[in-house]
Amino acid sequence: MIDPSIIIDPPRPSDHPDNLLWVDEQIWGHRLWDSQSSWLVFLEFLNLAEACLREEKLLEEGGCYYPLSFKPYKRMHLRNILFNNEKLSEVALRVPDNESAWAEWLEWMADNAKGATGGFSYLKTRFPSFHEFSALIGMLKSSAVESDTNRRWSSRFVFPFGPHGLYEDLNITPSGSVSREYINFGLTGELLYKMLSRSEKKEQVRPYLARMLSGENPWDKLLLRLQPDFSNDLATRGNSFLPYRAHASFDRLGEDWLSVCELQLPGFDSFPFLVTLSAFHVVLYQLTLGSQWNEEEQKPFFVCEVLAPKKTLIRELAGTSYQRNNLLTLQTVENYIRRIEQSQEWQSATQQPGSFELCRQLLIDQVRWPKDPEDYDGCNDPQTLLWELRRVAKNRHQQHAGNVHRNYGRDIGLISKRGTNKLRYAPNDSLLKALVLANVRTRMEYNEFLSRLYNRYGLIFGDRQAEVVLEKGEFDKKAFQANSVRLEQRLGSLGMLRRLSDACAYVQNPFSTRS
Amino acid sequence: MANPVTNWIAFLRKYGPIAQNDNMYDEHLRKSSKRLGIRPIEFAHPAEEEVLSLFKEDAPQLASVILTGTAGDGKSHLCGKVWKQIGGDATEWNSDDIYYRKSAILSGKPVSIHIIRDLTALPETDDRGRYFQKRDVLELFCTSLLDPSPSDIFLIAANDGQLVESWQRLGDKEVFLKTRTLFESLLVEDLQEKPGVSLRFFNLSRVNSSILLDLSLEALLSHEGWEECYRRGAGEFEFFGSRCPIRHNYELLNTPLVKSRLRALFELCEYNDLHIPIRRVLLLLANAILGHPEAKDRLMRAGDIPAIIKNGTTYKASLFNNIFGGNLSDTRRESLEVFQNLNKLRIGQETSNRIDNILIFGHADEILRPYFDRYLAADHFYGADENYHAAQREYLEGSDEGNANSQAFLDLLIGQRRGLFFKVPEDQEQEMTLWELTVFRYAGEYLSRVIAMLKAGGKVERAIMSRLVRGLNRVFVGMLISSDREVILAKGLSYTDARVCPLLEERISVIPRLGEKVEVIMPSEKPVLRISLSNSLVCDLPLNLTRYEFLSRVAEGALPSSFSKECYEDMLAYKSQVLRALSKRPQEDKPDMTFRLLNIDEHGHPAEEIIEVSND
Repeated sequence: MIDPSIIIDPPRPSDHPDNLLWVDEQIWGHRLWDSQSSWLVFLEFLNLAEACLREEKLLEEGGCYYPLSFKPYKRMHLRNILFNNEKLSEVALRVPDNESAWAEWLEWMADNAKGATGGFSYLKTRFPSFHEFSALIGMLKSSAVESDTNRRWSSRFVFPFGPHGLYEDLNITPSGSVSREYINFGLTGELLYKMLSRSEKKEQVRPYLARMLSGENPWDKLLLRLQPDFSNDLATRGNSFLPYRAHASFDRLGEDWLSVCELQLPGFDSFPFLVTLSAFHVVLYQLTLGSQWNEEEQKPFFVCEVLAPKKTLIRELAGTSYQRNNLLTLQTVENYIRRIEQSQEWQSATQQPGSFELCRQLLIDQVRWPKDPEDYDGCNDPQTLLWELRRVAKNRHQQHAGNVHRNYGRDIGLISKRGTNKLRYAPNDSLLKALVLANVRTRMEYNEFLSRLYNRYGLIFGDRQAEVVLEKGEFDKKAFQANSVRLEQRLGSLGMLRRLSDACAYVQNPFSTRS
Repeated sequence: MANPVTNWIAFLRKYGPIAQNDNMYDEHLRKSSKRLGIRPIEFAHPAEEEVLSLFKEDAPQLASVILTGTAGDGKSHLCGKVWKQIGGDATEWNSDDIYYRKSAILSGKPVSIHIIRDLTALPETDDRGRYFQKRDVLELFCTSLLDPSPSDIFLIAANDGQLVESWQRLGDKEVFLKTRTLFESLLVEDLQEKPGVSLRFFNLSRVNSSILLDLSLEALLSHEGWEECYRRGAGEFEFFGSRCPIRHNYELLNTPLVKSRLRALFELCEYNDLHIPIRRVLLLLANAILGHPEAKDRLMRAGDIPAIIKNGTTYKASLFNNIFGGNLSDTRRESLEVFQNLNKLRIGQETSNRIDNILIFGHADEILRPYFDRYLAADHFYGADENYHAAQREYLEGSDEGNANSQAFLDLLIGQRRGLFFKVPEDQEQEMTLWELTVFRYAGEYLSRVIAMLKAGGKVERAIMSRLVRGLNRVFVGMLISSDREVILAKGLSYTDARVCPLLEERISVIPRLGEKVEVIMPSEKPVLRISLSNSLVCDLPLNLTRYEFLSRVAEGALPSSFSKECYEDMLAYKSQVLRALSKRPQEDKPDMTFRLLNIDEHGHPAEEIIEVSND
């Protein structure tokens, strides 16, 4: 069970007027959003971090856990230049003369740019050559994050070279009105930031994060040059909520961040690993909390198949393992409702006269439902009311928070259908690489590595770990040993394993700072 | 019929890949040797002299010794020799005790010498009261290592996996952690010693496999068992007669060409970081001579020969095929590392048009006929016999139904290709495209024009350097760049290891210029590609055979991720290393926003476009 002293009281209901039900939010926070890719989580995180750095409060909540208000940038000019700009390359190709090219393009921008007041003529002074300007914009566009997705232009993001490339997700209508929507930046990035701020290693991570946000590189300086000097119109944001003051999963997240940062990879090479690991830790956080609320003794584990040419027992077990975890959080929600039902207050309320009204009020206090008359129009009977609550809660969970495990898992390469038609745990190369970088400083004996993967994350590849968690009937030593051998080969093909002899292999970090 | 000749063959079989050989190898051999009255095949391990020199009165320095390696490399045997040398009692050694202790004078100093002949078998407590607990002995060992002038010297034999595991179990005491990190470092980095530590590390399975091959071949081929076989005299259809495959295989193995090709194979494995321990070398050789897919345990016995000759299945005993384990079942072959290693070269499966034309059509083609005659027709044992011709006819002219028949010929082709590898003489190598019989097409060049050249103190020729640099550039830049006079360090916008890198970071001159240069050198046993950024900043890439092949193929047009993913990842890690070193080089002040864009023209030449953005 969770130690009550780490749980934070929920915010006032008036802070979240659109909220229908406060169950997922109290268990995991507001909110874990399933349609947010791992890169978008990272970008949302960086936006919040940058705003805090500006206030000189990077990774420092100062003991106040809610709310964390901040003022992210909008950068309307930059976004228009980069992503609302089909005319640019066309003009560059067609018009050889510099003056005419600028004239034609600036005129087009005046008509077509959205939400950017003050015009773009400053660009001409700063970039005398239109063609060079066009080449640079072309390069920046090619660096865009997740450029293969089909998002609207106002939800496209340049690579986060530095603070001048960070901006929040917005909806910009054809008429130019601007609003913050929560479909891409769904607040999970803010939760990630809060988790890191509450981790034990935050002091050590802070300087690395500050450097990532410092923009000491030509690309960020270029991004600055592309934007006008007049001020941004900043709005205040910040209604995300993370319900725990501290937790082992926050510390785990912090440790992995620190390990990767300490490798001091050149340029931005560490970003993809941080993106993957962060999303992985969000999944671990959700499952771990879910499991703790369920009062399960065994922590969540993941039987992982290392891709084999044909179906093996491991594949089946990896599939079952996935199914089990996929239903875990739903169970947590059900248990949450059940605890309300079994609570002292509910039981006594059902006994008293006017029980329905008392029960209804009790629910509104605890889970903010049913507030509106249309939320519930069934019988005036506490039992039916509770059944409806259970139905609504489960339904709501399965629409969003319940999909985080599957969606994030697929995104980071933990879960896949590859080679089969059902989802199961089959870590891909980039996830394996990230795990090695986060856990192996220079080298580590192979069995020690497997052991560490289980102890820290619950990942199971080999027989020693599998034996501990699986039922006797499910466990097959030979199959897991073969799985482990395949993992060795996989790591070898990534240049991360050194085999000495039959009995002895070492996992190596090719980027370790010690030569 | 127990006679010295059948006994010899029976004894030789014991070295081969029979099932019982996996455990208790030494035991079996010792017992068989006694029972059959045959002297075992043995030779002095190359490391023996060096190890023994440390246990002499006038030893140059005081150092403990760890002997590691895989089972069967002669660790225990070597310990026994040391014991004898320091004056230990032979009968005491035969008692199979694990721990021995004796005082002696080494390097002019009286010390206590402890010998542990098998680390994992060391008993927890000593029934002779020489130590209290196993931990105590090992702790004493660890402390003595860090003592510059120790009074206790140890000789410990352990498999490398066991060494690491044993130390893991000793716990977290400082002295154990320190020595454990030391062992790991010595093992992984393949070192023998580290400064400041009184220890010499001998990994007996790390001795160059080709040296072990030479010693094993010598010991095997000169064994008196063979003399016996000759002395007996035999008829044409009998064992060791003129048609006997065992005799033919023995004689083939004794020819210079076969020996030299076999040696080349082992060298290639060695330069590919694949090691073959002594026991496995002997296994390979025994299998090579005696292998036959239809014999018991797939190894011929003296008594099998008459039947084999009569049934006309002599060709199945081909030495050339046996060397690759072709006589064994798939599972057996795949379970033995030595065959896995040799088969990584894919000899038999790889080929060129020229070779296959000779093999398949040579008998009928005017131009190819001489080659066919020389290599196939002239070989009455394993060349083109009736069986071959029949299968060939079936393949070329046979009906469409029944894949089995054409499959038979294709299997025979594998054997013939392997045979060619050992028959083509040195002066015909080029013409016959010998090295295209292996997956490493550039292997011949690697051995003769790189390794041999460097060993003789020379430099690698310009044409090869250009090719390597071109290959490296194509991986670094991700485009079909043809530049070979400089190494182009390019990055992607966001990542240094992006597949395609349009941003130029720096160009490093191959020819020495202002401290920069690119060369292939051999500072220790293996060749290394070195990029020097300045007199003090160098980045080394160990250039094993696979990487050499990889760079050469990429230079000739292959896509980097197609030949070897591992190589590709290695190259990217190397690039990262070079970029990191580059940042340490003193930079000249550049304006803040200068972008060097890399463009390639249609001939593959790089052109740089510089865009500068002002700050005011």
